[in-house]
Amino acid sequence: MKASIYILTCLLLMIIESAMFLVFPVEFFKPDIGIPFIIYTTIFLGPGTGLVATLIISLFQEILSNAPQGSIIFTKTCAFILLILLRGKVFIDSKYSFSYICGGYVLFESILFIIFSLLSRGELKNAINVLVYIIPNSIFTGFVSIFIFVLIEYLNERFLQREY
Amino acid sequence: MKKTIIITIAVLVLVISFLVFTNIPSFFKGYSKIKICMGEATGPALKLLSKPTQLARYIYDSYFNLIGVKKENFELQKKFESLQLENHRLAELEKENKRLKSILHLVEQYPNTMIAASVIGEDLKNWFKCIIIDKGRDHGVKEKMPVITPKGVVGQAVEVNKWHSKVMIINDTNSSVDVYVDGKNSRGILEGTDQTTLKLKYVLKNDEIAIGDKLITSGKDTVYPKGIPVGIVITINRNKAGIFADVDVMPFNNYKRVDEVLIVKKR
Repeated sequence: MKASIYILTCLLLMIIESAMFLVFPVEFFKPDIGIPFIIYTTIFLGPGTGLVATLIISLFQEILSNAPQGSIIFTKTCAFILLILLRGKVFIDSKYSFSYICGGYVLFESILFIIFSLLSRGELKNAINVLVYIIPNSIFTGFVSIFIFVLIEYLNERFLQREY
Repeated sequence: MKKTIIITIAVLVLVISFLVFTNIPSFFKGYSKIKICMGEATGPALKLLSKPTQLARYIYDSYFNLIGVKKENFELQKKFESLQLENHRLAELEKENKRLKSILHLVEQYPNTMIAASVIGEDLKNWFKCIIIDKGRDHGVKEKMPVITPKGVVGQAVEVNKWHSKVMIINDTNSSVDVYVDGKNSRGILEGTDQTTLKLKYVLKNDEIAIGDKLITSGKDTVYPKGIPVGIVITINRNKAGIFADVDVMPFNNYKRVDEVLIVKKR
Protein backbone atom coordinates (compact mmCIF):
# COMPACT_ATOMS: atom_id res chain seq x y z
CA MET A 1 0.00 0.00 0.00
CA LYS A 2 2.71 2.43 1.08
CA ALA A 3 4.95 1.56 -1.85
CA SER A 4 2.15 1.99 -4.38
CA ILE A 5 1.28 5.41 -2.94
CA TYR A 6 4.91 6.50 -3.09
CA ILE A 7 5.28 5.27 -6.67
CA LEU A 8 2.02 6.89 -7.79
CA THR A 9 3.01 10.17 -6.13
CA CYS A 10 6.35 10.01 -7.91
CA LEU A 11 4.74 9.33 -11.31
CA LEU A 12 2.31 12.19 -10.79
CA LEU A 13 5.13 14.55 -9.82
CA MET A 14 7.11 13.53 -12.88
CA ILE A 15 4.17 14.28 -15.20
CA ILE A 16 3.70 17.66 -13.51
CA GLU A 17 7.45 18.29 -13.80
CA SER A 18 7.42 17.54 -17.54
CA ALA A 19 4.47 19.89 -18.11
CA MET A 20 5.94 22.58 -15.83
CA PHE A 21 9.20 22.73 -17.78
CA LEU A 22 7.16 24.42 -20.52
CA VAL A 23 6.18 27.20 -18.12
CA PHE A 24 9.53 27.78 -16.47
CA PRO A 25 12.28 27.60 -19.06
CA VAL A 26 14.89 25.99 -16.80
CA GLU A 27 17.57 24.09 -18.60
CA PHE A 28 20.46 23.90 -16.22
CA PHE A 29 18.48 22.65 -13.25
CA LYS A 30 16.34 19.64 -13.96
CA PRO A 31 15.99 17.60 -10.79
CA ASP A 32 15.55 13.84 -10.95
CA ILE A 33 12.37 13.42 -8.93
CA GLY A 34 12.49 9.63 -9.21
CA ILE A 35 15.70 9.23 -7.22
CA PRO A 36 14.41 10.33 -3.77
CA PHE A 37 11.48 7.92 -4.10
CA ILE A 38 13.75 5.03 -5.15
CA ILE A 39 16.10 5.67 -2.24
CA TYR A 40 13.29 6.08 0.27
CA THR A 41 11.52 2.85 -0.75
CA THR A 42 14.77 0.87 -0.88
CA ILE A 43 16.04 2.06 2.49
CA PHE A 44 12.79 2.16 4.45
CA LEU A 45 10.56 -0.44 2.75
CA GLY A 46 13.16 -3.02 1.76
CA PRO A 47 15.09 -4.06 -1.35
CA GLY A 48 12.16 -5.93 -2.95
CA THR A 49 9.92 -2.86 -2.95
CA GLY A 50 12.91 -0.77 -3.96
CA LEU A 51 13.50 -2.89 -7.03
CA VAL A 52 9.84 -2.58 -8.11
CA ALA A 53 10.00 1.19 -7.56
CA THR A 54 13.28 1.41 -9.51
CA LEU A 55 11.84 -0.48 -12.48
CA ILE A 56 8.55 1.44 -12.66
CA ILE A 57 10.09 4.88 -12.09
CA SER A 58 12.96 4.40 -14.52
CA LEU A 59 10.65 3.00 -17.22
CA PHE A 60 8.37 5.98 -16.72
CA GLN A 61 11.30 8.37 -16.98
CA GLU A 62 12.26 6.78 -20.28
CA ILE A 63 8.71 7.38 -21.53
CA LEU A 64 9.01 11.07 -20.73
CA SER A 65 12.53 11.42 -22.06
CA ASN A 66 14.44 11.03 -25.30
CA ALA A 67 17.04 8.87 -23.56
CA PRO A 68 18.16 5.76 -25.46
CA GLN A 69 16.01 2.69 -24.78
CA GLY A 70 17.14 0.81 -21.70
CA SER A 71 19.72 3.38 -20.61
CA ILE A 72 17.84 4.86 -17.64
CA ILE A 73 16.77 1.41 -16.39
CA PHE A 74 20.38 0.24 -16.62
CA THR A 75 21.88 3.14 -14.72
CA LYS A 76 19.14 3.24 -12.09
CA THR A 77 19.34 -0.52 -11.49
CA CYS A 78 23.13 -0.32 -11.13
CA ALA A 79 22.75 2.46 -8.59
CA PHE A 80 20.02 0.42 -6.87
CA ILE A 81 22.36 -2.59 -6.51
CA LEU A 82 25.01 -0.34 -5.00
CA LEU A 83 22.39 1.09 -2.65
CA ILE A 84 21.33 -2.33 -1.32
CA LEU A 85 24.92 -3.38 -0.89
CA LEU A 86 25.54 -0.23 1.13
CA ARG A 87 22.18 -0.41 2.91
CA GLY A 88 23.69 -1.38 6.24
CA LYS A 89 26.22 1.42 6.04
CA VAL A 90 23.87 4.21 4.94
CA PHE A 91 22.21 6.08 7.77
CA ILE A 92 19.42 8.52 7.10
CA ASP A 93 18.82 10.45 10.27
CA SER A 94 17.45 13.66 8.76
CA LYS A 95 16.19 15.18 5.56
CA TYR A 96 19.66 16.61 4.99
CA SER A 97 21.48 13.28 5.09
CA PHE A 98 18.78 11.98 2.74
CA SER A 99 19.50 14.92 0.46
CA TYR A 100 23.25 14.13 0.39
CA ILE A 101 22.55 10.53 -0.58
CA CYS A 102 20.20 11.67 -3.36
CA GLY A 103 22.85 14.07 -4.69
CA GLY A 104 25.46 11.31 -4.59
CA TYR A 105 23.09 8.93 -6.37
CA VAL A 106 22.73 11.45 -9.23
CA LEU A 107 26.52 11.76 -9.49
CA PHE A 108 26.93 7.99 -9.58
CA GLU A 109 24.11 7.56 -12.11
CA SER A 110 25.52 10.26 -14.40
CA ILE A 111 29.05 8.84 -14.35
CA LEU A 112 27.63 5.39 -14.98
CA PHE A 113 25.66 6.70 -17.97
CA ILE A 114 28.82 8.21 -19.45
CA ILE A 115 30.75 4.93 -19.05
CA PHE A 116 27.79 2.92 -20.35
CA SER A 117 27.35 5.20 -23.36
CA LEU A 118 31.06 5.15 -24.19
CA LEU A 119 31.55 1.42 -23.79
CA SER A 120 28.43 0.14 -25.48
CA ARG A 121 28.04 2.62 -28.33
CA GLY A 122 31.26 4.56 -28.36
CA GLU A 123 29.26 7.77 -28.23
CA LEU A 124 30.99 10.82 -26.86
CA LYS A 125 28.31 13.40 -27.69
CA ASN A 126 25.85 12.31 -25.01
CA ALA A 127 28.73 11.88 -22.56
CA ILE A 128 29.72 15.54 -22.85
CA ASN A 129 26.10 16.61 -22.30
CA VAL A 130 25.84 14.54 -19.19
CA LEU A 131 29.18 15.82 -17.93
CA VAL A 132 28.00 19.44 -18.25
CA TYR A 133 24.93 18.81 -16.14
CA ILE A 134 26.36 16.45 -13.50
CA ILE A 135 27.02 19.01 -10.77
CA PRO A 136 23.91 21.23 -11.20
CA ASN A 137 21.67 18.17 -11.47
CA SER A 138 23.20 16.66 -8.37
CA ILE A 139 22.88 19.84 -6.32
CA PHE A 140 19.34 20.56 -7.47
CA THR A 141 18.15 16.98 -6.99
CA GLY A 142 19.64 17.05 -3.49
CA PHE A 143 17.79 20.29 -2.80
CA VAL A 144 14.46 19.02 -4.15
CA SER A 145 14.83 15.74 -2.25
CA ILE A 146 14.61 17.67 1.04
CA PHE A 147 11.06 18.68 0.10
CA ILE A 148 10.25 15.20 -1.16
CA PHE A 149 11.44 13.70 2.11
CA VAL A 150 9.20 16.13 3.99
CA LEU A 151 6.29 15.24 1.69
CA ILE A 152 6.76 11.50 2.23
CA GLU A 153 7.06 11.96 5.99
CA TYR A 154 3.89 14.07 5.93
CA LEU A 155 2.09 11.34 3.97
CA ASN A 156 3.30 8.79 6.51
CA GLU A 157 2.16 10.76 9.52
CA ARG A 158 -1.10 12.04 8.12
CA PHE A 159 -2.44 9.17 6.01
CA LEU A 160 -0.27 6.11 6.37
CA GLN A 161 0.75 4.11 9.38
CA ARG A 162 4.26 4.99 10.51
CA GLU A 163 6.60 1.99 10.59
CA TYR A 164 9.71 1.99 12.72
CA MET B 1 18.81 -15.11 1.02
CA LYS B 2 16.09 -12.68 -0.02
CA LYS B 3 18.71 -10.05 -0.67
CA THR B 4 20.58 -12.48 -2.93
CA ILE B 5 17.42 -13.17 -4.95
CA ILE B 6 16.77 -9.45 -5.37
CA ILE B 7 20.34 -8.81 -6.47
CA THR B 8 20.03 -11.68 -8.97
CA ILE B 9 16.81 -10.19 -10.38
CA ALA B 10 18.45 -6.76 -10.53
CA VAL B 11 21.46 -8.19 -12.39
CA LEU B 12 19.05 -9.88 -14.82
CA VAL B 13 17.34 -6.53 -15.38
CA LEU B 14 20.78 -5.01 -15.99
CA VAL B 15 21.61 -7.59 -18.64
CA ILE B 16 18.24 -7.14 -20.38
CA SER B 17 18.49 -3.34 -20.35
CA PHE B 18 22.03 -3.58 -21.71
CA LEU B 19 20.82 -5.79 -24.57
CA VAL B 20 17.99 -3.32 -25.26
CA PHE B 21 20.43 -0.42 -25.28
CA THR B 22 22.70 -2.16 -27.75
CA ASN B 23 19.68 -2.58 -30.08
CA ILE B 24 19.44 -6.38 -30.13
CA PRO B 25 16.19 -6.74 -32.15
CA SER B 26 14.27 -9.33 -30.11
CA PHE B 27 14.92 -7.53 -26.81
CA PHE B 28 14.39 -4.12 -28.34
CA LYS B 29 10.96 -5.05 -29.76
CA GLY B 30 9.76 -6.60 -26.50
CA TYR B 31 10.93 -3.62 -24.51
CA SER B 32 9.31 -1.17 -26.94
CA LYS B 33 5.96 -2.98 -26.52
CA ILE B 34 6.11 -2.62 -22.73
CA LYS B 35 7.11 1.00 -23.05
CA ILE B 36 4.33 1.77 -25.53
CA CYS B 37 1.71 0.12 -23.26
CA MET B 38 2.87 2.25 -20.33
CA GLY B 39 3.19 5.33 -22.52
CA GLU B 40 -0.40 5.00 -23.70
CA ALA B 41 -1.59 5.20 -20.14
CA THR B 42 0.54 8.29 -19.57
CA GLY B 43 -0.73 10.29 -22.55
CA PRO B 44 -4.17 11.35 -21.21
CA ALA B 45 -2.69 12.24 -17.80
CA LEU B 46 -0.03 14.42 -19.39
CA LYS B 47 -2.64 16.10 -21.60
CA LEU B 48 -4.86 16.74 -18.59
CA LEU B 49 -2.06 18.10 -16.42
CA SER B 50 -0.73 20.37 -19.16
CA LYS B 51 -3.99 22.40 -19.00
CA PRO B 52 -3.35 23.89 -15.54
CA THR B 53 0.24 24.58 -16.53
CA GLN B 54 -1.01 26.67 -19.44
CA LEU B 55 -2.87 28.75 -16.88
CA ALA B 56 0.28 28.91 -14.75
CA ARG B 57 2.21 30.09 -17.80
CA TYR B 58 -0.36 32.82 -18.39
CA ILE B 59 -0.07 33.96 -14.74
CA TYR B 60 3.73 33.78 -14.88
CA ASP B 61 3.88 35.84 -18.07
CA SER B 62 1.29 38.34 -16.78
CA TYR B 63 3.27 38.76 -13.55
CA PHE B 64 6.41 39.65 -15.41
CA ASN B 65 4.42 41.95 -17.67
CA LEU B 66 3.13 43.75 -14.60
CA ILE B 67 6.63 44.16 -13.17
CA GLY B 68 7.77 45.78 -16.35
CA VAL B 69 4.69 47.96 -16.85
CA LYS B 70 6.24 51.20 -15.49
CA LYS B 71 9.36 50.75 -17.49
CA GLU B 72 7.32 49.83 -20.52
CA ASN B 73 5.22 52.98 -20.14
CA PHE B 74 8.33 55.16 -20.18
CA GLU B 75 9.68 53.29 -23.16
CA LEU B 76 6.35 53.63 -24.97
CA GLN B 77 6.42 57.41 -24.56
CA LYS B 78 9.85 57.46 -26.09
CA LYS B 79 8.69 55.17 -28.83
CA PHE B 80 5.82 57.49 -29.63
CA GLU B 81 8.28 60.18 -30.62
CA SER B 82 10.19 57.86 -32.84
CA LEU B 83 7.20 56.46 -34.69
CA GLN B 84 8.65 57.62 -37.93
CA LEU B 85 11.41 55.10 -37.60
CA GLU B 86 8.86 52.38 -37.08
CA ASN B 87 7.62 52.89 -40.60
CA HIS B 88 10.84 51.41 -41.86
CA ARG B 89 10.18 48.35 -39.82
CA LEU B 90 6.83 47.92 -41.53
CA ALA B 91 8.53 46.94 -44.73
CA GLU B 92 10.29 44.16 -42.87
CA LEU B 93 7.04 43.03 -41.28
CA GLU B 94 5.42 42.95 -44.67
CA LYS B 95 8.12 40.59 -45.85
CA GLU B 96 7.53 38.36 -42.84
CA ASN B 97 3.82 38.48 -43.47
CA LYS B 98 4.38 37.32 -47.03
CA ARG B 99 6.53 34.44 -45.83
CA LEU B 100 3.95 33.35 -43.29
CA LYS B 101 1.21 33.66 -45.87
CA SER B 102 3.13 31.43 -48.19
CA ILE B 103 3.43 28.79 -45.47
CA LEU B 104 -0.24 29.13 -44.63
CA HIS B 105 -0.98 28.82 -48.30
CA LEU B 106 1.00 25.59 -48.29
CA VAL B 107 -1.08 24.25 -45.43
CA GLU B 108 -4.29 25.26 -47.18
CA GLN B 109 -3.09 23.82 -50.45
CA TYR B 110 -2.36 20.43 -48.89
CA PRO B 111 -4.83 20.20 -46.04
CA ASN B 112 -4.25 16.52 -45.47
CA THR B 113 -0.49 16.67 -45.29
CA MET B 114 -0.13 18.55 -42.00
CA ILE B 115 -1.28 17.72 -38.50
CA ALA B 116 -1.50 20.56 -36.00
CA ALA B 117 -0.42 19.68 -32.44
CA SER B 118 0.13 21.38 -29.11
CA VAL B 119 3.22 20.97 -26.97
CA ILE B 120 2.26 19.34 -23.66
CA GLY B 121 5.56 18.41 -22.06
CA GLU B 122 9.31 18.46 -22.13
CA ASP B 123 12.11 15.98 -21.60
CA LEU B 124 12.62 15.11 -17.93
CA LYS B 125 16.38 14.95 -18.36
CA ASN B 126 18.51 17.86 -19.51
CA TRP B 127 20.83 15.39 -21.22
CA PHE B 128 18.50 15.25 -24.21
CA LYS B 129 16.35 17.78 -26.03
CA CYS B 130 12.84 16.59 -26.65
CA ILE B 131 9.26 17.87 -26.44
CA ILE B 132 6.05 15.92 -26.07
CA ILE B 133 3.10 16.76 -28.35
CA ASP B 134 -0.57 15.88 -27.93
CA LYS B 135 -0.95 13.99 -31.23
CA GLY B 136 -0.06 10.35 -31.63
CA ARG B 137 -0.71 7.22 -33.65
CA ASP B 138 -4.48 7.75 -33.58
CA HIS B 139 -4.04 11.08 -35.36
CA GLY B 140 -1.78 9.69 -38.06
CA VAL B 141 1.61 10.59 -36.61
CA LYS B 142 4.42 8.22 -37.50
CA GLU B 143 8.08 8.00 -36.54
CA LYS B 144 10.54 10.20 -38.47
CA MET B 145 7.80 12.64 -39.48
CA PRO B 146 9.22 16.17 -39.57
CA VAL B 147 7.82 18.69 -37.09
CA ILE B 148 7.79 22.33 -38.11
CA THR B 149 6.30 25.74 -37.27
CA PRO B 150 5.72 28.64 -39.66
CA LYS B 151 9.19 29.86 -38.56
CA GLY B 152 11.00 26.68 -39.53
CA VAL B 153 12.07 23.20 -38.49
CA VAL B 154 11.53 22.06 -34.89
CA GLY B 155 12.62 18.43 -35.10
CA GLN B 156 11.31 14.98 -35.91
CA ALA B 157 8.96 12.51 -34.23
CA VAL B 158 11.04 9.78 -32.64
CA GLU B 159 8.55 7.86 -30.57
CA VAL B 160 4.84 7.65 -31.26
CA ASN B 161 2.25 6.49 -28.77
CA LYS B 162 -1.52 6.25 -29.10
CA TRP B 163 -2.26 9.76 -27.89
CA HIS B 164 1.06 11.54 -27.75
CA SER B 165 4.45 11.60 -29.44
CA LYS B 166 8.01 12.53 -28.58
CA VAL B 167 9.77 14.99 -30.84
CA MET B 168 13.56 15.16 -30.95
CA ILE B 169 14.53 18.81 -31.28
CA ILE B 170 17.21 19.83 -33.80
CA ASN B 171 19.27 21.10 -30.84
CA ASP B 172 19.66 17.52 -29.54
CA THR B 173 23.15 16.10 -30.03
CA ASN B 174 21.68 13.09 -31.83
CA SER B 175 19.98 15.27 -34.44
CA SER B 176 21.33 15.99 -37.93
CA VAL B 177 19.68 17.88 -40.78
CA ASP B 178 20.94 18.09 -44.35
CA VAL B 179 20.80 21.77 -45.33
CA TYR B 180 21.53 24.19 -48.13
CA VAL B 181 22.60 27.79 -47.77
CA ASP B 182 19.65 29.67 -49.28
CA GLY B 183 20.50 31.11 -52.68
CA LYS B 184 24.02 29.65 -52.71
CA ASN B 185 25.55 26.34 -53.66
CA SER B 186 26.93 25.44 -50.23
CA ARG B 187 25.58 22.42 -48.42
CA GLY B 188 26.29 20.89 -45.04
CA ILE B 189 25.02 18.82 -42.17
CA LEU B 190 23.46 20.78 -39.34
CA GLU B 191 24.07 19.06 -36.02
CA GLY B 192 22.65 19.73 -32.57
CA THR B 193 25.04 20.74 -29.80
CA ASP B 194 22.70 20.60 -26.81
CA GLN B 195 23.08 24.39 -26.62
CA THR B 196 20.94 27.10 -28.19
CA THR B 197 23.14 27.22 -31.28
CA LEU B 198 23.76 24.48 -33.86
CA LYS B 199 26.91 23.47 -35.76
CA LEU B 200 27.01 23.39 -39.54
CA LYS B 201 29.49 20.68 -40.47
CA TYR B 202 31.33 19.70 -43.63
CA VAL B 203 31.31 23.19 -45.13
CA LEU B 204 34.59 23.80 -46.94
CA LYS B 205 36.61 26.87 -45.99
CA ASN B 206 36.29 28.26 -49.51
CA ASP B 207 32.55 27.55 -49.76
CA GLU B 208 30.20 30.41 -50.47
CA ILE B 209 28.76 31.22 -47.03
CA ALA B 210 28.50 34.41 -44.98
CA ILE B 211 27.15 35.57 -41.63
CA GLY B 212 23.40 36.20 -41.89
CA ASP B 213 22.83 33.53 -44.55
CA LYS B 214 19.62 31.57 -44.17
CA LEU B 215 19.75 27.79 -44.12
CA ILE B 216 17.00 25.66 -45.64
CA THR B 217 16.48 21.90 -45.65
CA SER B 218 17.79 20.09 -48.72
CA GLY B 219 15.39 17.15 -48.50
CA LYS B 220 18.28 14.74 -49.05
CA ASP B 221 18.19 13.25 -45.57
CA THR B 222 14.76 11.75 -46.43
CA VAL B 223 13.32 13.08 -43.17
CA TYR B 224 12.73 16.79 -43.77
CA PRO B 225 11.07 18.01 -46.97
CA LYS B 226 13.03 20.39 -49.16
CA GLY B 227 12.93 24.16 -48.62
CA ILE B 228 11.96 24.54 -44.96
CA PRO B 229 13.92 27.28 -43.15
CA VAL B 230 16.09 26.01 -40.31
CA GLY B 231 18.28 28.81 -39.02
CA ILE B 232 20.63 31.66 -39.69
CA VAL B 233 24.46 31.66 -39.78
CA ILE B 234 25.85 33.65 -36.85
CA THR B 235 29.59 32.92 -36.86
CA ILE B 236 32.09 31.49 -39.33
CA ASN B 237 35.62 30.52 -38.34
CA ARG B 238 37.89 29.75 -41.27
CA ASN B 239 41.10 29.94 -39.24
CA LYS B 240 40.87 26.55 -37.59
CA ALA B 241 42.91 23.56 -38.70
CA GLY B 242 41.55 21.24 -41.39
CA ILE B 243 39.62 21.73 -44.59
CA PHE B 244 36.24 22.55 -43.07
CA ALA B 245 35.06 25.86 -41.63
CA ASP B 246 33.55 26.09 -38.16
CA VAL B 247 30.04 27.50 -38.62
CA ASP B 248 27.56 28.31 -35.83
CA VAL B 249 23.88 28.56 -36.62
CA MET B 250 21.01 30.02 -34.64
CA PRO B 251 17.80 28.07 -35.24
CA PHE B 252 14.68 30.04 -36.12
CA ASN B 253 12.69 28.18 -33.49
CA ASN B 254 13.37 28.49 -29.80
CA TYR B 255 11.91 25.16 -28.71
CA LYS B 256 11.39 26.54 -25.21
CA ARG B 257 8.85 28.95 -26.64
CA VAL B 258 7.07 26.64 -29.06
CA ASP B 259 3.41 26.12 -28.19
CA GLU B 260 1.94 24.79 -31.41
CA VAL B 261 3.61 22.74 -34.11
CA LEU B 262 2.79 21.20 -37.46
CA ILE B 263 3.64 17.59 -38.24
CA VAL B 264 4.29 16.99 -41.93
CA LYS B 265 2.77 13.74 -43.14
CA LYS B 266 4.94 11.73 -45.48
CA ARG B 267 3.57 10.77 -48.85
